[in-house]
Amino acid sequence: MRKLFVSVARAATVAIVAAFVAGTPARAQQAPARTADSIAAPVIAKGDSAKLKGPRQPVFFRHDLHAGAYKIQCQYCHYSVAVSNEPGIPSMQTCMGCHLVIGGSDSANKAEIKKVRQAWADKKPIEWTRVHYLARHVHFPHSQHIKAMGPVACATCHGDIARMPQVYKVNNVNNMGWCINCHLERKVTRDCSACHY
Amino acid sequence: MSDEPETPPMDRRRFLTVLGASTATAAAVSGCSTSRVEKLIPYLVQSEDQVPGIPTWYASTCTECDAGCGLHVKTREGRAIKLEGNPDHPVNRGKLCVQGQSALQGLYNPDRIKAPMVRNGSAWQEIKWDDAIARLAAKLGPAQGKVAVISGAGRGSFDDFLGEWTAASGGKMVRHAPHDLEAVRAANKQVFGVDALAAHDFGKARYIVSFGADFLESWGPSVENQRGFADAHGFHDGTMAKFVYVAPRASLTGLNADEFVAVKPGSETAFALALANAAGAAGLSQYTPEMAAQETGVPAETIRRIAKEFAAAKPSLAVAGGIGAQSAGAAELCAAVNLLNQAAGNIGQTVLFGADLQSGDGQAALDALAAGMDQGQFQVVLVHEANPVYTQPRSTGFAARFRKVPFKVSTAMVLDETAALCDLLLPTHHALERWDDARPRAGITGLMQPVMEPVFTTMATGDVLLKASQKAAGPLARFNAPSWEAYLKARWADIARARGSADADGFWRESLARGGVYDEPAAPAAVKVASAAVTYTKPAFEGDGEYTFLPHVTTFGDGRFTNRPWVLELSDPVTKITWTSWVEVSPAAAKRIDVREGEILRLTSPHGSIEVPAYIYAGLRDDVVSVPLGYGHTEYGRFAANRGANALDLLGPPKAGGFLPFVATRVRVERAGNAYSKVPKTEGVPRQLGRHIAEAMPLAAAAKGLSLEEWYKGIGEPLGEEHPPVEVEAIKGWRQMQVGRTEGHGRRLGNYAGDHPMWGMAIDLSRCTGCSACVTACYAENNIPWVGEDDVRKGREMTWMRIERYWEGGEADKPLEARFVPMLCQHCDNAPCEPVCPVYAAYHTVDGLNGQVYNRCVGTRYCGNNCPYKVRYFNWYKYNERAFPAPLNLQLNPDVTVRARGVMEKCTFCIQRIRGAQHTARLEDRELKDGEIVTACAQACPSDAIVFGNMKDGDSRVAKIKRDPRGYHVLEDVNTRPAVTYLAKVLHAGSGQRAEG
Repeated sequence: MRKLFVSVARAATVAIVAAFVAGTPARAQQAPARTADSIAAPVIAKGDSAKLKGPRQPVFFRHDLHAGAYKIQCQYCHYSVAVSNEPGIPSMQTCMGCHLVIGGSDSANKAEIKKVRQAWADKKPIEWTRVHYLARHVHFPHSQHIKAMGPVACATCHGDIARMPQVYKVNNVNNMGWCINCHLERKVTRDCSACHY
Repeated sequence: MSDEPETPPMDRRRFLTVLGASTATAAAVSGCSTSRVEKLIPYLVQSEDQVPGIPTWYASTCTECDAGCGLHVKTREGRAIKLEGNPDHPVNRGKLCVQGQSALQGLYNPDRIKAPMVRNGSAWQEIKWDDAIARLAAKLGPAQGKVAVISGAGRGSFDDFLGEWTAASGGKMVRHAPHDLEAVRAANKQVFGVDALAAHDFGKARYIVSFGADFLESWGPSVENQRGFADAHGFHDGTMAKFVYVAPRASLTGLNADEFVAVKPGSETAFALALANAAGAAGLSQYTPEMAAQETGVPAETIRRIAKEFAAAKPSLAVAGGIGAQSAGAAELCAAVNLLNQAAGNIGQTVLFGADLQSGDGQAALDALAAGMDQGQFQVVLVHEANPVYTQPRSTGFAARFRKVPFKVSTAMVLDETAALCDLLLPTHHALERWDDARPRAGITGLMQPVMEPVFTTMATGDVLLKASQKAAGPLARFNAPSWEAYLKARWADIARARGSADADGFWRESLARGGVYDEPAAPAAVKVASAAVTYTKPAFEGDGEYTFLPHVTTFGDGRFTNRPWVLELSDPVTKITWTSWVEVSPAAAKRIDVREGEILRLTSPHGSIEVPAYIYAGLRDDVVSVPLGYGHTEYGRFAANRGANALDLLGPPKAGGFLPFVATRVRVERAGNAYSKVPKTEGVPRQLGRHIAEAMPLAAAAKGLSLEEWYKGIGEPLGEEHPPVEVEAIKGWRQMQVGRTEGHGRRLGNYAGDHPMWGMAIDLSRCTGCSACVTACYAENNIPWVGEDDVRKGREMTWMRIERYWEGGEADKPLEARFVPMLCQHCDNAPCEPVCPVYAAYHTVDGLNGQVYNRCVGTRYCGNNCPYKVRYFNWYKYNERAFPAPLNLQLNPDVTVRARGVMEKCTFCIQRIRGAQHTARLEDRELKDGEIVTACAQACPSDAIVFGNMKDGDSRVAKIKRDPRGYHVLEDVNTRPAVTYLAKVLHAGSGQRAEG
């Protein structure tokens, strides 16, 4: 039986308390406590991000800090990866969940976090540049792969994101041979119609 | 062999493979390139209901006609992409017709009015909503007592509100439903003293007679009727009901009859009275079969036999009325049928009073309003969800009277003929964008909720009127709800209280999730015959032409669906014509006029003249010509405007106080010079020519449980071609060769290794009525582009699922019989398309599907040429670009690839649904259950004729049905071994070619 949803007053979804966010002064944060196996993220001076691999994003969001140093689970932000074909990208609300309080430790970080807060205040979501995308005739169910390979399977395709200051493409996910190799190794379906329909 | 080179340098297959590879590289630039930049735009605040990649379902109510079916709306990432029936709704029980499903193309119609507009000379000027409401309010204040409202909205809270609002403004409101069953209501009032429409239980009836009532198409709630009809008339437990259709022309409903009795137009009443007399109704003794025979032109024995059969079957059901029978004497006909049902004891059994199906205020009310406009009684007219300038025949002069009102306001979503004459356009929300409710009959209230953000800057008319009332003040000031939503919720709080629910909010949410409030149907109201004085008036027709003009309702209803490409491209169930109107003439009449299909005929009545291409149709009397309604719009968007001819142009105005008689004129028919226009139809050869495509067997044989093969043996005919033993031997090994199956060990070869399901389908032709709801469901689910009139002419339609209609008989002494066959990819085990594909784009999947890999396909079309079923369709142009002009593209199903030019496409058995269900089952660590995967066609089918499932599971529904002795495969003799099994149609004695034997 399909679950049926009920529309709520449409205004509620946009009624965001944004006013006090804009006014919050960015408090200097203590350097975060790092656990033994967390990955030390390098300090990248302002301007140095241009030399990094991968497309330049509107906000210099550092996966190496969030997923590496702070060890935030991938699924905290990519919330639907285990239940849906689509991994999901975090809403601005998710960003603000932390950055309402966390304003950044140095001026470079502060500048980036300020952009996020500004976007939230303006109700204008940040337009990220997509790094990985499949051709439209391929259907890749993320959930099935997480189910089969566990929640840390992300790196198999996306590389060691936890060490990437700026995300870049490690594997060409549009190279079908690359998919097939894995499917051959693991002795799972190679039927065309598993992905192409 | 020796002179052949050992390795051919480049054979054809290799050549094409290489060619394919280079094409793929070229395609890569647009398809897989990394240079393309895509944006990922997150939500600001994630809605809890929406998970990317997973559909969110909302319950709602369909407002496309008066039936009020329940909907389940599938939304993905905040946009509605598919409409399905609500299984809990008592009217449609999870099914939905063509028109209901096409509501999405109303929602995303590119011709929707995008914002409020005001007339500026001959042009329209876009304005802000505040301005628009201020303009309306400014006119409303001084117009107190001089406001006219024409509303096509069905009954419900908005209708109540509009009524109260009009009353407060001292105005007059008319509910305009152009194809209302006015004659039926008038007859109910006359005979039973009940001014209401009854519900009908077709499922219970053992014998059905319809006097021109097209209950499968346009008469009453067609989905409910069809479900009942299939239950009664579908072959089950060795028996089935009989259905007789009495009318001058066989509509789709008529073609589903076991017996089509072609009576003279307007003479149905005599037939009905003769039946009522035979059934024992008092005071009708002068209506003998002989008298009826003289009037109707049908032999007296036929009438006597039908009367006898009708009286013998308990319960039976007679229905009448509707456009095809709406002659001047239609009320008499319906009254006669009331007496017939009463005499046969059907009242309370199959005719259920008390349901009080909704209907409009009638033609007389509209005429009175128009007269008021003419006399300058009104300052302001508001037209809501109605288009009277189109639906009223030109001869009524409605447009001229309407023009006389100084300030005309329309809430139309698309600029229709009426809106085009207006001064202010206040485009309303689509039903899927707003809060609303609907009360299609007693005991049923459906709720509507916004399932997505509005596509354009429109506003619910409820909100517009509330805001304007506050501005206009005066007596309108009492409408002070802050919003239409609040107003509706307040009303529902009253409903909750009235039903004894203490928690109004909980009641509201519960009702929303269920789709509304559905009470157990009350016991049918008892009715008594108030007046049995029914007479028969000989029909009289206006004009001196040789042919009686009979407009008929097709998929376009009263013309409101003509702006939807799905409906336009859908071939008419009877004629298979798409995109344009036509005139039906009988073969004898065609000979007399000397006309062939496609030659243009000019039809002239005392009221006007139209020119349309001819279509020769055997299901029509020789003294009648018939034209579909709904075409010939002059406005109403790019798809509808100037398409075909408007049949209403030939009709005269109604008599004072009466309904609009659709069958009332005679027309002169002549060839319009040598003009010719090839009729765009999706039909090849309309006869089976011994190919055993649409099989049928007599009831006697089916009741005995004979298989089709046994029955053919009994009559000494072969079922298909005979095969020599060598061929049989060769085909035996095919499957093993292909999938490496060894008895009892599953499959062993490569990718096919292991145990897999085997998908299959069964289609019961004795339940299928040819209504084509499956076709539209397939278009919606699978992103099928429409190709347009010209490409249909060239045979390039893309209907993955189509309804083939074959004629049997129809000549001289043989009754005309139509056989409907839903034709889709048969997913052959031994598929002829697969071995001829040079690039392995057509191949067999492990689970028995005939796969089609679009990204492999290079478009050689060999597969299409080799397919005996002609179910592979080639994408000739960039249909994907031209078929979905924004915002129609928002309807596309993200789970299905939108095919580009140059690939072959076809039915996939809704593989996205199969894979989706498999994924869900795997995530939940369980096996798939039978019935969990329902293809779009099977889901929509109002007759429940299509069943899909795993053939390997012997307990599955599809496997059980496939064991039915009536089962056969289409073109079995070409050894394709299809996965689709058809169950032969069953015929009553005397009803068709195969009926005896």
